[in-house]
Amino acid sequence: MKTGRHSYPGENKWKGLFYLLPALLIYLGFTFIPILETFRASFFDWNGFTEARTFIGFKNYINLFSDPLFLKAISNNLVFIIFYSIIPILIGLMLAAILTGQPIPGFGFFRTVFFLPQVISMVVVGVIWRWMFNPVSGPINQFLSLIGLDHWRQAWLGSFEYALPAVGSIGTWVQYGFCMVLFLAGMQRIPTEYYEAASLDGANGIKQFRHITIPGLKSEIGVAMITTMIAALRVFDLIYSTTRGGPGDSTLVTGFLIYRAAILNNRIGYGAAIATVLTIIILALSLLIRRFMAEEKEPA
Amino acid sequence: MKKFRLTLILVLTFLLLTSACLTQTTQTPVEQAPGETTLVVWDQFYREEESKVIETLNAEFEAAHPGVKIERETKVLADLQMTVKLALGETDGPDVAQVNQGRSDMGALVESGLLLPLDEYVSTYNWGNVFSSSVASRNSFTPDGKTFGQGSLFGVSPTAEVVGVFYNKGIFADHGWSIPTTFEDFEALLAEIKDAGITPISFGSLDGWNAIHEFSAIQHLLVNLDYINNLTYGVNNVSFDTPENQRAAQILSDWAKAGYFSEGFPGIGYDDSNNLFKAGEGAMTITGSWFAPELMTGTDQEFGFFLLPGFSGQPTMAIGGVGVPFAIRKSTEHADLAAEYLDWMISQRAAELWAQAGMVPAMSLPEDSQVDTDNIFGDTLLAWQTINKNNAVGHYIDWATPTFYDTLVSELQKLLGGVTTPADFTAAVEVDYANYLQEKSQ
Repeated sequence: MKTGRHSYPGENKWKGLFYLLPALLIYLGFTFIPILETFRASFFDWNGFTEARTFIGFKNYINLFSDPLFLKAISNNLVFIIFYSIIPILIGLMLAAILTGQPIPGFGFFRTVFFLPQVISMVVVGVIWRWMFNPVSGPINQFLSLIGLDHWRQAWLGSFEYALPAVGSIGTWVQYGFCMVLFLAGMQRIPTEYYEAASLDGANGIKQFRHITIPGLKSEIGVAMITTMIAALRVFDLIYSTTRGGPGDSTLVTGFLIYRAAILNNRIGYGAAIATVLTIIILALSLLIRRFMAEEKEPA
Repeated sequence: MKKFRLTLILVLTFLLLTSACLTQTTQTPVEQAPGETTLVVWDQFYREEESKVIETLNAEFEAAHPGVKIERETKVLADLQMTVKLALGETDGPDVAQVNQGRSDMGALVESGLLLPLDEYVSTYNWGNVFSSSVASRNSFTPDGKTFGQGSLFGVSPTAEVVGVFYNKGIFADHGWSIPTTFEDFEALLAEIKDAGITPISFGSLDGWNAIHEFSAIQHLLVNLDYINNLTYGVNNVSFDTPENQRAAQILSDWAKAGYFSEGFPGIGYDDSNNLFKAGEGAMTITGSWFAPELMTGTDQEFGFFLLPGFSGQPTMAIGGVGVPFAIRKSTEHADLAAEYLDWMISQRAAELWAQAGMVPAMSLPEDSQVDTDNIFGDTLLAWQTINKNNAVGHYIDWATPTFYDTLVSELQKLLGGVTTPADFTAAVEVDYANYLQEKSQ
C-alpha cells in the first residue's frame, strides 16, 4: 500500500528538498565539512595556527601504528566496551524485567532514579566519582572500613590494578539507566498474550524472559549496543576529569590521545590521523552490529 | 505553488538574515573617540586576589596615559593556551597576551612569527636591571623558535615561583622538631614524623604534574646548574639517564615505599592533598610558592616554608622560575604602547601589589615597601631571593621536550606505583629526550 500525497501534474518534485536546506546547511557547516577537513589534515604536518602546513602523505598513519601508546589506548577502549556496553545491557535487561514483572509501588520513582546518571554532564559525573573514590575521605573506602574490610581499601583511581575497572564502572553507572529505559519501552510492545500462553504451558519466569522477552527486544538491544559502544570508543570527558590517562598509561584512551596530540602538543595532523582511525573503527563496528542484528532477525 | 513560493521566500530570508548577522559581527568597527587608543590585553589572572592586582595596575595605566583604554579579557590558563595561538594570528587579536613558556607555547608562536621580539625595548626600559640573565633566558628563543634559552626576549614575567617545603608550625612545635639544615637531617625527620604516627609529606599523584616537582626537587640537589640548563634548553647533548637522576628516582621511590606520603596517595588529586594539608593533616608538603596565599586565610593552622636542604648542608639549587610572561603580538599597531604596558606590569609598583597579594614578585620590592613579611609569604620571598642571589634558580624540567610532561607524569606514576625501577624510569624518559634531540638536529 502506498501512502503519502500524490504529486499534481506540473508540480516541482524538487521543492521538498528546499525544506531540508536549513538543516542541511547546518549539517554541512558544522559536521560534514569539519570531518572532511580532519581527514585532509591527517595527511599534513601542521601546528594548527599558522598557514604553513607540509604534506607528508601517510606518515602520520605509519607513525600511529608503531606508537605503543596508541595501541594501548585502543585496547583500553575495547575494555571500556565491556563496562559501557555489555554490563549496562545486562543490568538494564535485569532491571527492566524486574520493573515490568509485577506492579511495584513507586515504579516511576525507580525508573527516574536509575535514568538520572544519563542526564548529568560527564564532567560532573567525573568530579562526583573522583570524590567517591578518594582514598582518604571518599565514601567507598570509608564504607569498607565501616564494615571491617580495611584491607580492601584502595587508591582506586591511582592503582595500576583497579584504575581501569574503577573508571569503567563509572561508565556502567551512567549507561545502564539508558539501556533500562530503552528496554522498558520495548517490552510494552510485546503482547501480554505471549506470556499468558507461556505460563499456561508451564514456562517459568526465567524461561519466559529467555524465550519471549529477549527475542522481542532484539532491535532495542541492537540500538543500545551501538550507542553505548560508540560512547565507549569516544570517551574523553570522563578520563579528562578523573585520571587523565593515569596511572602510567593504564586508563589512556584514544580520545585523550587526540587531545594531547592536537591541542597540547600542536600536532594537528597526528591528532587528525588518530581521529580518522577512530572514526573508521566506530563505523566498522556499528555496521557489524547492524548486520548481525539484521541476520538474527530473519529466521524468526 | 503559492505555498512553495512562500517557503522559498522564508528560506531565503533566513539565509539572508544569518549571513547579515555573521557579517555584522565581524565587521562592527570598534567605536573610538578621536585620539583614543584601545589596548586589548589577555591575561590568566582569574583568581580574585590576582585579578585585583591587574585591575589596579590597569586603572593606574589608563590614568597615566590619557586617551588609552585597556580592554581586558581574563581566561584560565588552559583556555588561554588553547585560544591565544589562533588569536595572535589575527589582525584584530590581543595586542598583549600572556603566553606560557616552553616549546609548545612560546616556542611554537616564535617559530610561526607571531610574537614581537623585545630586544629594542630591553634597552629602552633597562629591563636588564629588572631581571637576571637566568630569568630572561626563560622567556627567550632564537628567532626560528628552535632554540630555547637564547636569542631574543619575547616576554616579561611579573611573578616568580620557587618549589620548596611547606611545613605545619603547630605540628613541628608540638614535637620539638626544627627545620632541617641538611638533606640527611631531612630524611631522618621524615622517619621520625612517620614514627610519631603523622603523615610526613602530604602528597597525591592522581593529577600527575606535581609528581614532577617531587622528583625534580630532589634531582635539583644532585645536579648542577649547567646540567639542568642544558637539559631544559636542549643544548650540549646531555642525557637523562644519569646516575644522579637515577639516585633522585631511587630516593623518591624509597619514600613512597617507606610510607612517607599520604595514605592512598596515587588516588589523591593535587587540590585534595593541599586541602588535607591545610586542614592540619600531614607535617609537610613539597610544592611551589604559589600555594602560600592559600595557606594565609581560612585555616586555624600556622605554616612556614623552607628550601629543601642540600646534601651535607651544601648550598643548592631549587626548582624555580618566573610566572607566565606577557608578550606582544607581532602584527599589533600599538607596539610601543604595548611595550610601555609590559614595563608597567614589571614596575616596582607592580612588585608591591603582588607582594601584598601574597605572591612573590619577579622584580625586587621598593625600598619603602609596606608589605608584612613576618609570615609564610615572607618565607617564600626569602627563599626566592636566596636562590636568585646565589644564581641557583633551577627549572621546570617538563619544558625540555614537547612531550616531556606527558612522559614524565606517566613514568613517575609507574615508578611510584612500584611498577618500574629507578633505572627503568631514567631509561624510559631518556628515550623521549633522545628522540627529541635527534628530531631537533634534523
